[in-house]
Amino acid sequence: MAEITYREALNRALDEEMARDERVFLIGEEVGEYDGAYKVSRGLLAKYGPRRVKDTPISELGFTGLGVGAAIAGLRPVVEWMTHNFALLALDQVVNNAAKLRQMSGGQLSVPIVFRGPNGPAEFLAAQHSQALGGYWMHVPGLKVVAPATPADAYGLLKSAIRDDNPVVMLEAELMYAWKGEVSDQEYTVPIGKARVAREGEDVTLITYSKPIRVVEEAADRLAEKGVRADVIDLRSLRPLDEETVVSSVWKTSRCVVVDEAWPMASPGVTVANLVNSRCFDALDAPVELVSGEDVPMPYNHRLELAAQPSVEKVIAAVARVLYREDL
Amino acid sequence: MAEILRMTALSPTMNEGRIAKWTVEEGTEFSSGDVLCEVETDKASMDYEAPKSSSLLKIILPAGETAKVGDPIAVIGRKGEDYAALLKEGGSAAVSEEKAGEAEPSSMAPQKEKTVQAKATQESQPAASGVPKPAQAADARNAGSVPLHAPLAPARLPSSSPLARKLALEKGIDIRLVRGSGPNGRVVERDILEFAEGVESSGGIPMGAPKAPRQEPTTVQPNMKRLVISRRLSESFFTAPHYYLKKRIRAEALLELRATANVGRPAKLSFNAFLMKIVAEALVRHPEINVYWRGPGAAGAGREVAAALAAVTSAQPVLEQRHSIDIALAVALPDGLITPVVCDCNLKSASEIDAELAQLIEKARVGRLAPEDYEGAGFTVTNLGSFGVDEFTAIINPPASAILAVGSIVKEPIVGDNDEIRVAQTLSLTLGCDHRSIDGAVGAAFLADLARMLENPAMALV
Repeated sequence: MAEITYREALNRALDEEMARDERVFLIGEEVGEYDGAYKVSRGLLAKYGPRRVKDTPISELGFTGLGVGAAIAGLRPVVEWMTHNFALLALDQVVNNAAKLRQMSGGQLSVPIVFRGPNGPAEFLAAQHSQALGGYWMHVPGLKVVAPATPADAYGLLKSAIRDDNPVVMLEAELMYAWKGEVSDQEYTVPIGKARVAREGEDVTLITYSKPIRVVEEAADRLAEKGVRADVIDLRSLRPLDEETVVSSVWKTSRCVVVDEAWPMASPGVTVANLVNSRCFDALDAPVELVSGEDVPMPYNHRLELAAQPSVEKVIAAVARVLYREDL
Repeated sequence: MAEILRMTALSPTMNEGRIAKWTVEEGTEFSSGDVLCEVETDKASMDYEAPKSSSLLKIILPAGETAKVGDPIAVIGRKGEDYAALLKEGGSAAVSEEKAGEAEPSSMAPQKEKTVQAKATQESQPAASGVPKPAQAADARNAGSVPLHAPLAPARLPSSSPLARKLALEKGIDIRLVRGSGPNGRVVERDILEFAEGVESSGGIPMGAPKAPRQEPTTVQPNMKRLVISRRLSESFFTAPHYYLKKRIRAEALLELRATANVGRPAKLSFNAFLMKIVAEALVRHPEINVYWRGPGAAGAGREVAAALAAVTSAQPVLEQRHSIDIALAVALPDGLITPVVCDCNLKSASEIDAELAQLIEKARVGRLAPEDYEGAGFTVTNLGSFGVDEFTAIINPPASAILAVGSIVKEPIVGDNDEIRVAQTLSLTLGCDHRSIDGAVGAAFLADLARMLENPAMALV
């Protein structure tokens, strides 16, 4: 067991999968000569050569479509988007081709491809580069969406994604690449569609995914000091969603706060809240609370930038509401 | 604006009604609450009261005719208004079905409104929790529809969380008894738990919170007969100052008389027939008992309405001396009390009275009793002896002034004429009188004479 960064965990997964299956190749902007914009692909060009680590022009629609074509033809591409903000240019290839061809071909075609890159706000990146777009992918039937929040899950889920015969979108985060965590030296995979219970408690269920996990963990620590024990669920997969873990937790606690850095409209967070409302209605003692990113384009001013995102204080306030307590 | 007046359902079982008579003429004005017409159903005669002040433009259903509930019976509106179009469009259309079922929803609607108003009043107070108030409440406030005397919130379920409701159900707690601590008084889990704890620690269920799932009381709209009973007896009891005189008499002679008279009769004459016959003889000797008191607020019904109304409008009470001896007998039927009247009891034999009673009771049983069969009594006899009741007091049947309550015949030790103690069959009489028309001494004199005649029926002959 070693403590490594999220970045290193992804790199190890890529390395192992490329070594394991020579159909696996990496394609994207700066993935080769530059070792990746965030150094996720460090050393891979040197190890596997330019046939399997391909630098591309700044042309998301082009190289994403190239990847989809290669997947149909039998390879297992890993497409790196420098950020999900840029992937908006590639929406058509993902939504209309990657996600649909298996169904539209009556199962004759499959698209075993991974799209990955940082998602969500980082710092000082302003409106166009600070958005959590997981809902764009989660919305589409035919796609799988994973959002690991720890190095261990980043490693295990990327391996599962690469081995999956369907298109998988992976949400990472710029600020998470340096996060450290224990990752087993043994090879393993993390199943897609299975949430992680980050900690167990009986008083309230806190549900989140990806980067806000740290905000939620800190809130849970502060709540624990006040005697409130939170069940913290890290979804890890947004699609398919691990309904059973969510539902059984809320049936235990009767109270639920969903934390999601995406905007509140049509978001992963409201999808989860709806799941809880429909399957846990009789268990609920309070309406489900959603702590989301504020419903505005990200302000550049740093104070406002922070104020527009979920915070420990916002999470604790929401917990106070579902517990009907004013002393938290 | 002219509108159609329709036959209304005066009881849940009423399907149709016959206009006994119109008490308001075409072209005359009336006020809300005035009696427009008398409607007979198979059970009783009811006053059709004006729902609003207006004037009677046209009678569609003349007296003596029958209409289904919901069918038009008249047109009301401003004097001289043209109502021809109204008659054409809706006057003849049968709307019985919808109308019959309308009573409930229409009575629900205003209640719903009250709920909103009451809610709005509650929420107009600042909420300590700072939770934003629902827009709906704000709307209700802005509409300015909240009366100062806003009614108390009707018995409805309080706002509560699903978990609280589930827990309350499991614990058998009536959630309406639980004070909610959540936003806007929402009952939440901890309120139920605290309530349940209170129940346990106090060693019992608090008032109104049964252990078993609560069965809500069912309500039934009283039938027309019950409404009449309710109205007439309430008026009597609350306006006539009742007093009661009691006398226990020996019943042997009366029983012997009946036994003798019944010898050889295939159908026995009833005890009540003899009772009524002798009461009639006592009334002949005491005409001051056979009186009507008509005064402001005096109760009346059916054909007596006009006289009663006259008394009311004159605002002067009237003491009416009756010259016929008409005695009512209270008869219990499954759907309510009825008091058939045997007229001129002093002129009839006990067997005639008995035959007439049998006929009237049979009519009552099948609901065919006409108003004249149960109205106009100058005195009433009510007998609960067959239920084993020792003695009881009764409410005067207005506008008459007195009623005789007869208990059961029981064997009792009594002190005889020679101071010996012996077993005798006795009977209790309780005379209820209206003090406005009959003073105590007058009532007492009548009761004494009546008792003497019942104990010695021969006295009725002299």
